[in-house]
Amino acid sequence: MAILEVRNLKVSYTASGPQILKGLDFDVDGDDFCAVIGPSGAGKSTLIRCINRLVEPSEGDITLFGQSVRALGAGDLRRLRRRIGMIFQEFNLVNRMSVMDNVLSGRLGYTGPVRSFFKAFPREDIDRALHLLERVGLSDHVDKRADALSGGQRQRVGIARALMQKPEILLLDEPTSALDPKISRDVMGLIRELAAEFKVPVLCNIHDVQLALETCNRIIGMQDGYKKFDGPAQGMRKQDLDEIYAMEVL
Amino acid sequence: MSIAAPTSEHGFEAYLAHKRSRRINNWLIVAGGALLLAWCFWDTIMFDTDWQRMGGALGIGGTLARFFQVDWSLAPKLVVPALETLMMATLGTLLGCFLSLPVAWFGAANVTPSKFFFYPLGRFLMVLSRSIHEIIWALLFVGAVGLGALPGILAVAMRSVGFISKITAEAIENIDPKPVEAIRAVGGNQFQVMYYGIVPQILPVIIGTIIFEWDINIRRSAIMGLVGAGGLGLLFFRQMAMFNYGGVTLVVLAVFLLIAIGEVVSHFARKAVI
Repeated sequence: MAILEVRNLKVSYTASGPQILKGLDFDVDGDDFCAVIGPSGAGKSTLIRCINRLVEPSEGDITLFGQSVRALGAGDLRRLRRRIGMIFQEFNLVNRMSVMDNVLSGRLGYTGPVRSFFKAFPREDIDRALHLLERVGLSDHVDKRADALSGGQRQRVGIARALMQKPEILLLDEPTSALDPKISRDVMGLIRELAAEFKVPVLCNIHDVQLALETCNRIIGMQDGYKKFDGPAQGMRKQDLDEIYAMEVL
Repeated sequence: MSIAAPTSEHGFEAYLAHKRSRRINNWLIVAGGALLLAWCFWDTIMFDTDWQRMGGALGIGGTLARFFQVDWSLAPKLVVPALETLMMATLGTLLGCFLSLPVAWFGAANVTPSKFFFYPLGRFLMVLSRSIHEIIWALLFVGAVGLGALPGILAVAMRSVGFISKITAEAIENIDPKPVEAIRAVGGNQFQVMYYGIVPQILPVIIGTIIFEWDINIRRSAIMGLVGAGGLGLLFFRQMAMFNYGGVTLVVLAVFLLIAIGEVVSHFARKAVI
């Protein structure tokens, strides 16, 4: 059964401006690790951000966990976002906060105002954060400031923060673009391992086609706001890739 | 296609003529400025000064000399007003910080609740606070709540709002939006987005600004007494009214000492923060 259904999704940032997404349709199932590939400017980041409405869609329907995302009010939208883990290209950590507080901030959607103010998270959240930091290999860096870590380590903090939410779907926006090739493979491997362990479906923007084919079981190819390919990673042929990236050659 | 070379003769003449007219222009501007200056000098110093009452060089020197005979007997009476001045500066700064919170929130373009109402309102309050001198604020509050330290505290607070909120609003406008996006994405509410996404980024700037403002507010508090709002200024005013010039000098020395202390404290406090 599809967890996420996207129908005829269109986005333009301004009423008169160019259309970024020009009518997308696809589903994500419960066991998918789905990559969205395509040249720069194809609309990959916009697509990911529409799903938790960091970007407002202009037309079409998005159904996540059986709820129509576009119809939600502010409170319901926050409750929905709690169930969506997100990992970012530039990690999006709060640099002046400790690694631990950054990970714990993944629970903010469930934390009341008083606890938020004093950064006094419940015992079980702290235990979970420590466990996740151990899982991503950062047990020795718990009290360091986020900006004291290397790029790969920061992205691991980002992964721990997303998993802190006990997410039911993970949205990944170019999680490896800011990392070198070796660390990129480590980070993608770690995400795949953890996604399988916690049984979370993943929708992942990725620039590196080779890495996408290695890591993901399904590929959605985008070009200039349209979907050009949708199928299993194994079924992807050279000519499909050529078609997706045709614009870049021109 | 060839470009016709200008005859060097013609080019040189044109250049000279242009230079000459520029030189005449400059002279006219300087002459105009000199005339204006002469008029100012004439009107304010020559015309406005009461030359008859000034007395000779000895008279002027004698009066100035009286300022240098410091009246040390006044020293014990300075302790309490000096402390009062310090407390006025501190409480005024604190109150100013709290008043600055909503003003900075309204006046920062990226977080303001409404671009059409609250943003201009916030900017207006910043300008209002700074465009009215602290003495004027003090006169206003002395009128409203009577003599004493309270009007001084209120005046210092009102005068502080402009600077603190303006710097804070600018810091908010310059934050990195990425952590904010992350806190929104985990389902954080408006307060959590501000507290976790924005505050850690602007905190060093804000604390530095508050320390700086406290330092300035010691100076401001020291003169509040001139209009009856407590502190060392009140003593200064009384000594002046009694023509006790030595006492005036001692009060000035006390103000100087206080400001020097403020300078040292704020220097180390700022270092500790940044």
